[in-house]
Amino acid sequence: MADYREAPLATRPKTLDPNEYFNLSAEKRRTEEERAALRASLKRQYQLQLNNPHRKELIEDPAMNRWVYARANPYPHFRPTFKTSLMGLLSGVVPLFVLYYAFKTDRDNREEKIKNGTLERKFCLSS
Amino acid sequence: MRTLLSLNQKRLLNMAGVGFQRWARFLSKGKYSNISALLSGCRAASSGMKNGPYPKTLEERAAAAKKYNIRVEDYEPYPDDGDGYGDYPKLVDRSQHERDPWYQWDHPDLRRNWGEPMHWDFDMYIRNRVDTSPSPVPWSTMCKQLLGFIGFMLLMFYIGHEMPVYQPIGPKQFPYNNLYLERGGDPNKTPEDVKNYEI
Repeated sequence: MADYREAPLATRPKTLDPNEYFNLSAEKRRTEEERAALRASLKRQYQLQLNNPHRKELIEDPAMNRWVYARANPYPHFRPTFKTSLMGLLSGVVPLFVLYYAFKTDRDNREEKIKNGTLERKFCLSS
Repeated sequence: MRTLLSLNQKRLLNMAGVGFQRWARFLSKGKYSNISALLSGCRAASSGMKNGPYPKTLEERAAAAKKYNIRVEDYEPYPDDGDGYGDYPKLVDRSQHERDPWYQWDHPDLRRNWGEPMHWDFDMYIRNRVDTSPSPVPWSTMCKQLLGFIGFMLLMFYIGHEMPVYQPIGPKQFPYNNLYLERGGDPNKTPEDVKNYEI
């Protein structure tokens, strides 16, 4: 297993990472254990609810609720800074004016050509 | 004096009490103006679902990490640029394609366990969408090669359109005295001879 090479389009799984097994300091081990403890408590909560024979309702996922709430309510945390104002301008105000001028000039030229009789009415679809 | 409540029921009552306190505190702040926002806001506040403001002190960071089920040392909020994230944690930008396919996830299609903190762009990183798996050649190389090829072909087609190159040709030659009769010539008159060749 020492010369394991992961598949070309896959990430190396954590269990095959040599840093998981060699040169482990006590601190790294403690951090991994703490993370595992958090995961295990979540797993335990889920399994208790899942296998509860008296449960009649869906199991609610608080992490998902937090995610949905956070995605749906960014406005309380919005603050007008230079960056956010610039993004707002670039995506909301500038396209309006640019598109207006682009379409207006194009249509005006076309109208002028039609009035002068110089518009080339081709059968080609691409221009 | 021992009450008849079990440990779980006591815990629930405690949670309800805490929730009520939070609800009352939230109402007194008076941020919302309409009823539906009020109700959803108080429901979210009572169950600890709101993403609060950016954490500034260590206690706030610890509380936020506990709320999101992350270790305090691992918890990293998005930088406070007023972008609307609040204290939502910044997780690694890896798609669900990269997670172990053989582990027994609680939700196998999403490759996620129950209660695990979700990435802000989770709906982008599901297995039907963006994939951040490593590519055989560096991403920048792939981009340069593709865009270089497409750009080159577009350029050549444009040049060819503007400056077409044909074989040299002369005007077309027709028989029967340059199609004298077909072009409406008088059949009673003899046309002059047209010689389209040279010997």
